[in-house]
Formats: sequence, structure tokens, C-alpha cells
Amino acid sequence: MSDFVQLVILGLLAGGVYVAVGVGFGLVWGVLNIVNLAHGALVIMGGYITWQLFTALHLDPFLTLPVDAVALFVLGYALQRGVINRIIRAPLLFTFLLTFGLNLVLVNLLLLTFGSDFRSVTPSYSGKGLEFGSIVIPYVPLISLGAAILLSAGLAFLLNRTRIGLAINAIAADRDAAQLVGIDLRHAYAVTYGLGAACAGVAGGLIALIQAITPTAGEPYTLQAFVVVILGGLGRVSATVVGGLAFGLVEAFGQSLPGSGSVFANAIAFGLMVVVLVTRPQGLMGRLR
Amino acid sequence: MAVRKLALFAVAAVAAFACGTTSAEPTTGSTITLGAPLGLTGSLTKESQLTQQGYNLWSDWINARGGILVNNVKHPVVIKYYDDTSNANQSAVLMQKLITEDKANFLLGPYGSAATATDAVVAETNQIPMVEANGAAQSIFNQGYKYTFGVLSPANKYLQGVIDMAATLTPKPTTVAMLSADDNFSLEVANAINTYAPTKGFNVVLFKKYKNGATNLTAEVQAAKTANADIVLNSGHLQEAIAINKAAKEQKLNAKIFAYSVGPSTPDFITALGADANYVYDGSQWTPQVKYTPAFYLTESQYVAAYKAKFPTFGDPDYHVAESTAACLALQRAIENAGSLDATKVRDALAALDVTVFFGQIKFDSRGINIYKPMVVEQIQNGVHHTVFPASVADAKPMYPTPNWDQR
Repeated sequence: MSDFVQLVILGLLAGGVYVAVGVGFGLVWGVLNIVNLAHGALVIMGGYITWQLFTALHLDPFLTLPVDAVALFVLGYALQRGVINRIIRAPLLFTFLLTFGLNLVLVNLLLLTFGSDFRSVTPSYSGKGLEFGSIVIPYVPLISLGAAILLSAGLAFLLNRTRIGLAINAIAADRDAAQLVGIDLRHAYAVTYGLGAACAGVAGGLIALIQAITPTAGEPYTLQAFVVVILGGLGRVSATVVGGLAFGLVEAFGQSLPGSGSVFANAIAFGLMVVVLVTRPQGLMGRLR
Repeated sequence: MAVRKLALFAVAAVAAFACGTTSAEPTTGSTITLGAPLGLTGSLTKESQLTQQGYNLWSDWINARGGILVNNVKHPVVIKYYDDTSNANQSAVLMQKLITEDKANFLLGPYGSAATATDAVVAETNQIPMVEANGAAQSIFNQGYKYTFGVLSPANKYLQGVIDMAATLTPKPTTVAMLSADDNFSLEVANAINTYAPTKGFNVVLFKKYKNGATNLTAEVQAAKTANADIVLNSGHLQEAIAINKAAKEQKLNAKIFAYSVGPSTPDFITALGADANYVYDGSQWTPQVKYTPAFYLTESQYVAAYKAKFPTFGDPDYHVAESTAACLALQRAIENAGSLDATKVRDALAALDVTVFFGQIKFDSRGINIYKPMVVEQIQNGVHHTVFPASVADAKPMYPTPNWDQR
């Protein structure tokens, strides 16, 4: 029984990272209709900023998260305004090609700057945790989950309560109508992509705390973000939160199957995605559009 | 007339003298091109970089001596690299390109068992010898290939040293939890333990596979904790080793021995984990502390010094570097022994090779893998690698048992 509880806790905690990775990806996909293959590279950039600030300035890694967000927002805004906006109305394949290319460029820039060494952020409280009998709740994943929830809440607030957020929602609902009522599309697009990148940056900061990072370590996260967003449902931040936590749980239980269960943990998660697509195409929590 | 005779004699003498010097002084011959696809980008960048360092250390050394001596002709060496983006299939494509377009005389291996396996096929079909240092899976060598030679100890030896060492410790540990990535190499390491450990009186209480490259291994660590094993073994790579060690601390998995096949020997393991890297064991192909009597090239200490001079920011060379240099040395000695640049003759010389260098004995069994060199066990003690087993080459005693996480 305590094993089961422990697994549930570990799965939910692991889900924190998936939530953080998913929300930015889902926003860009939902509003801009871009499946952003450069998302993983943006994530890892955030990871390197956290690592750099931690090793050079000895800042607490969780305090570096706002820096990740701001830096990646600026980068994302510039990328959208300067590069991606040129093909915003092109067929999906073009956006695939462009973001895939951006991913290669960003990863190789990181390789040139930081080399291929494994970097890890290990603060003094890393590995410590709360203990209730045989059940352990490690601090770092716990705070990461909290940070991911805060990030999602902040994003939801921004999208639903601020002028620019409402503009973004309007574009997601109907691009042409939004333009007719005077919304500056280019600016709103760039802000959207910037917000997506900022979320990716925060996710990267969390990932640097949890695993060792290299410039190529972000790539699996693009795929995981994709699954998380489909699981939860496109178009709502809260849906992505549910998707991320569900993904964490499914992974934990997949891994805990006896023998070679973990080999199939990903297959199980993708299988679940297919089931969700077939039975609830709008996702666990998504709204039909 | 006498003057003319004298002149002729003088000319003949000069000519003879001239000929004499040319036969004693080696001339410079054609350049030998070696080809090596490496993962200079992609997931195996780090290990590939270490491999390249090992190759380059040797090529600098041999070219400073004018090249490989074959029948009194010195052949300078060029190593041609391509980036296989850490993709085994791409590696094979580039290997073929190295042979057909770049006219590589001989081949050096890529990084990793997966790429070595695909490249071995190319070497075989083109009948060009490939000497490799970074593919230890025996599945590569069980195909009956005649042109692939591995200087390193095969995968099944990687963690056996840890079991042998554990058998000598008091209080003797009795149970083993074996975690393994699901790639060929890692599974060979793990399966070997599964059959070897019981013969030494150990009970394998958990055997668990996970996806190669996994970064979240909390459920595996939880399973090991539930199994309550004295020895926690992991067979994977650097990324997974770091993930397991982090999760072990977070989830309070306490064991008397933590040993990982690959990872702890690289400096990154210590920089990534800091003090948490202490007490971890690994099976290593080579450590800077081993003592062998090299027949040629450098001694261990000279090798470490040469490495630090060329790569001052990297610390001590790890075994990936050393084994890669050793592959070059094996090829060099085989070419010298063959007295020819002919691919088949060099292949035969490789098959007959038996030489000891700083890396240890290099000798291939009938399959082409070096089963004659022992593996050593090292342990990280206070942030430094120490060789702890076998005692004949050790520079420190094992720090045993590993204290619980909350007592460190």
C-alpha cells in the first residue's frame, strides 16, 4: 500500500515538469497553429541560464526561474517577429520545417557555447525531502511541481484577465475577426510565442534541477509536450495541467510494471494518447471547437 | 689515365656512400588515411569527443615521429572524421563514404556499440580492417566478422569485477538489484551479472529493464528500494547513471554498494553530482593508476601528462580516451608487423597481434574482441577516482559499506 502511495506521489511530482513543458507548447499550438519543434531547444536554453546563474553567481535555482522566463520571452518574441511570422499562414509542413531548422540552429549554438558536457544544478537541499514513515516526498520535485502550477496559474490569469491575453484568445477563436476589430496581429502573435518560450524557459530551469542536461537533452521534451497537450486537450491551460499530471502518473505506473515494464512506459503513454484521440478527441479536459 | 681511374673510384665511392645513407635513413612514403565517423553532434557528443581526443593524441605522436614505419618507409597518418550525428545508420553511410570517396586505408571505430555494429558490416563487405575501441557488445563479435577488432574488454566483463570485489568485503553483501537500459550493450552487461552473481554466492533479487536514454527513473529506484538489496547495480550510460544516483538520494535508497557500468568514470559525473558522487563504484576499462609494462608508446604517467598538455581543461583522461588511443596503437603495430599497407595482410597481423601497451594487453580472440585484458573497479572517494580492485593495481581500499544518505 505504501508503495502504491509512494508511486502516486512520485508520478504526480514528475508530472510537474511535464506540466511546465506542456503549457507553453499548448499555447503556441492552440493560438498560432504551430507545432513548435524548437520547443525542446528553448526548454534547454532555460536550463542553461539556470545552470549558469547557479554556478557563476550561486543564485538559488528557483530564484533564477523569472530570469529564464524573461530571457526566453525576449528571444521568443524576436524569433516570432523576425522569422516565424513570415510563414504564419503557410501550410503546416512549412512550420514543421522552419521550427525543426530553428531547433537545429539553437541546439548547435548551445553546443558551441557550452560544449557537450553534462551539466547539473545541485543545490544544498537537493536530494533532501519530507518523510512520513516509509513515504518520501523530495523537496526539489515538490517545489518544481509548485512552480509549474504557479506558472500555469499565472499564464491562465494573463490569458483570461489581461487585455493582451484577451486579444490572444480572440485570435485563437477567429483570426480574421480579431484583425477586423483592430488587434495588432503581429504583436499579439509575437507575444504568444514569447509567452510559450518563457514557459519553456521555466520548464528548462526545473529540468536542470532534476536531470543532467546537455544541449541535446531537450529533444525528448518536444515529444512529451505533444503527448501532454493531446492528453489534456488543446486550448485551455488547466487542461494541460491535467494532461501533464496524467502523463507523470501513467509513466510512473508503466515503469513500475514488473520486469521490462519500463521499456514500454512510453508506449503505454502513447497508447493512452491514441485511446484519448479516438474516444475523446478534444482531450481529457479540452473543449470542442 | 690514373687520374681518370681515381675520379671514377671517387664517384663510385660517393655513390656507394649516398646509397648507404638512403638505406639506413627511412624515406617518407605515401600518407595513410584512417577514417572514423563520430557523433560530433547528437546524444553521444561527449563520449565521441573523448574518442576523438584519444585518436588525435596518437596521430600527433606518430606524425611527430614522421609516421608509421613500413619497410623503412615512414607513412604519415591523417585521420578523416565525419559527424554521424550519433546515428548508427548514418555512421555506416559515412563509413562507406570514407572508403569509396576518401580512399581510407584503414578504419577506426565510431562511438558506441550500436554504431560499431552497423559499421562492422561496412568494414566486412569492403574487406578493410576496422579497429574499434568503443563498441563492447559481444553481439558485434558473434557474427563471424573477420575485419572488426575491438581492443576493449567485452560487455560481459563490465560489472563482474564489482561482484568479485564484493565477494572479498566484510560484512559480505548478499543481495543484488540489477537495473539496466534496454540497448544491446547494457543488456549484455546486465545479463552477465544475472548469471555470474549466483556463482559467487549472491542472490539477484531484482532485474529491471528501462528504456535506453530515460531521464526519469524514479519508479526503478523505488523498485530497488522495495527489494532492499545490498548491492545496487546499473547498466546504462552517463545520463542514466546520474538520474539513478539523484533519485536514490531523493528516495532514500540506501545500499552498501552502488555501482554503475558507465558514467562514474567520466569527470562529468562528479561535476554534475558533487559530493553525492562519492562512494560510487564503476567497472572501468582503464584508470590512470593501473601499472602495465608497455612495449612501445608511452607509460601510463607519460600518457596522462601528454593528455593534460594537449587538453589542459579536461583533467585526467578517462578510459574512453585511453581505449581509443589503444585502438590506434594496435593498428600501428599490426601495420608494422605486416610490413605492408595491404588490407588483408594488416588484418592477418591484427589477428595475430599480442602486445602490451599502457592500456594493457592487446590480443584478440578468434571473434576479434580482446578478452585478455582485465577490467578494474574504481570508486569515487572525496571527489577523486581511485582504483580499488584488483588489489594488484589498486591505489586505495574500497570505502565500504556506503553510509546511508542521511549520515553523509
